Amino acid sequence: MAAPAFRKLANGWRIQRRVIHALMIRELVTRFGRENIGFLWIMVEPLLFAGLVATVWRFMKGPEEHGVGIIAFIVSGYIPITLFRHGMSRSVSIFISNSSLMYHRQIKILDFIFVRFIIEFLGGAMGYVFIASILIVFNEFPVPANIGLLIAGWMVYAVFTLSICFIVAPLSEISEVMEKFIPVITYIMVPFSGLFTMASWLTPTMREYLLWSPFVNAMEMMREGIWGNKITAYYNVWNPIICSAVAATIGLALCRHVRRTLTVE
Amino acid sequence: MIRCKDINKIYSHGSQRKQVLQNVNFDVLPGERVALLGRNGAGKSTLIKLIGGVELPTSGKIVRDMTHSWPLGFSGGFQGSLTGYDNARFIARIYDHDYKSVRAFVEEFTELGRQLKMPVKTYSSGMRARLAFALSLAIEFDCYLIDEIILVGDQNFQKKCHEELFEKRKNRAMILASHSTDAIRLFCNKAVVLNKGIATTYANVDEALDIYSAL
Repeated sequence: MAAPAFRKLANGWRIQRRVIHALMIRELVTRFGRENIGFLWIMVEPLLFAGLVATVWRFMKGPEEHGVGIIAFIVSGYIPITLFRHGMSRSVSIFISNSSLMYHRQIKILDFIFVRFIIEFLGGAMGYVFIASILIVFNEFPVPANIGLLIAGWMVYAVFTLSICFIVAPLSEISEVMEKFIPVITYIMVPFSGLFTMASWLTPTMREYLLWSPFVNAMEMMREGIWGNKITAYYNVWNPIICSAVAATIGLALCRHVRRTLTVE
Repeated sequence: MIRCKDINKIYSHGSQRKQVLQNVNFDVLPGERVALLGRNGAGKSTLIKLIGGVELPTSGKIVRDMTHSWPLGFSGGFQGSLTGYDNARFIARIYDHDYKSVRAFVEEFTELGRQLKMPVKTYSSGMRARLAFALSLAIEFDCYLIDEIILVGDQNFQKKCHEELFEKRKNRAMILASHSTDAIRLFCNKAVVLNKGIATTYANVDEALDIYSAL
């Protein structure tokens, strides 16, 4: 009994890997084409965003804030939030824009979300490594004190973002109003994302509230990974993990519901 | 075999509800060539999409014991902004086929030549039909789901389809939605007439065609 079930699972996994691989290539070719730098464009946007904002802040606020380099601080905040913003906006109407692919039964709707998210994730990660390496050479970015913690923080941030994408994608299908709210929501959440502040710079009450946000917890992890004991970080790794599990459960249920009523031209 | 069990399909938009299919039951056995008949809007394309798994029935079940093509119709299955070759490569990948052999077959069957390097959105419906057909023949399925498209091509295309589908692949099953009575009389050995959401199966194609003409 167990053996055929396992074989079925293994076979399903093999098919999904193939499908995701094919969809990735298709998405990269349709989005970036084969001209000039091709798929390397995926890291240009996060790079430009982080680089330009950091430069502006450098001229507005001087080289340091609370003892950390302002350029490095802004870069470390902007790359993750770009992942979140892009992940959200690319999940809107994702089923409609891929509907012609649903003619092939081995392609599941979750594959669309995975593929777009993986592309944003890789773009963000590559952009991060690229800009940090350059800044390290110019002594504007510290060599990460604890690279494992930095990567762990980035991973939980990404997992939470993905679980939010699982909710946004089906919701945008159910209600078109959703699309209008996304830019506002992503803007409103900037203060709750830990982008411009560290928890230790705040009053204890404020800090307590802010640490409910999974983004802040993940961001604090990443920053401790970068600056080590030069800063004080507050986080609980279980916050983003539990929030992700809850959001993903809701999201997967919504996806299942939407798939049943999805109309394909 | 492909078996449809008590299929219901209801589309709703706001407060509007439309029941397109009502308790549809029928089987497609290996080698059977089933004609789907019905007036415009009777639910032929919807039924083909449900069988192909593109959309899911509101209730009921579809059991599939043989492989089937994706619904071959005027839309769907392709990415318009990609070239013919890119689409072929994509399909070869997701169906786990060797791209080289798929490409060779597509080039030979479609006779589209350099057009295959152009985005599919620039193709005419006849050219799309050629490409869709070539790909589904290159992959090889037990059952072909055809939504009208076979009849849009020119003489040369029809001759090729005839050769590939009705001679070389005689033993395959097929579901063909069409309004062309001649084609159905020629190719099909079973018919399903859809009227007001209700499907009736006829073993005798001529009888089904008479009923369809009277609708």
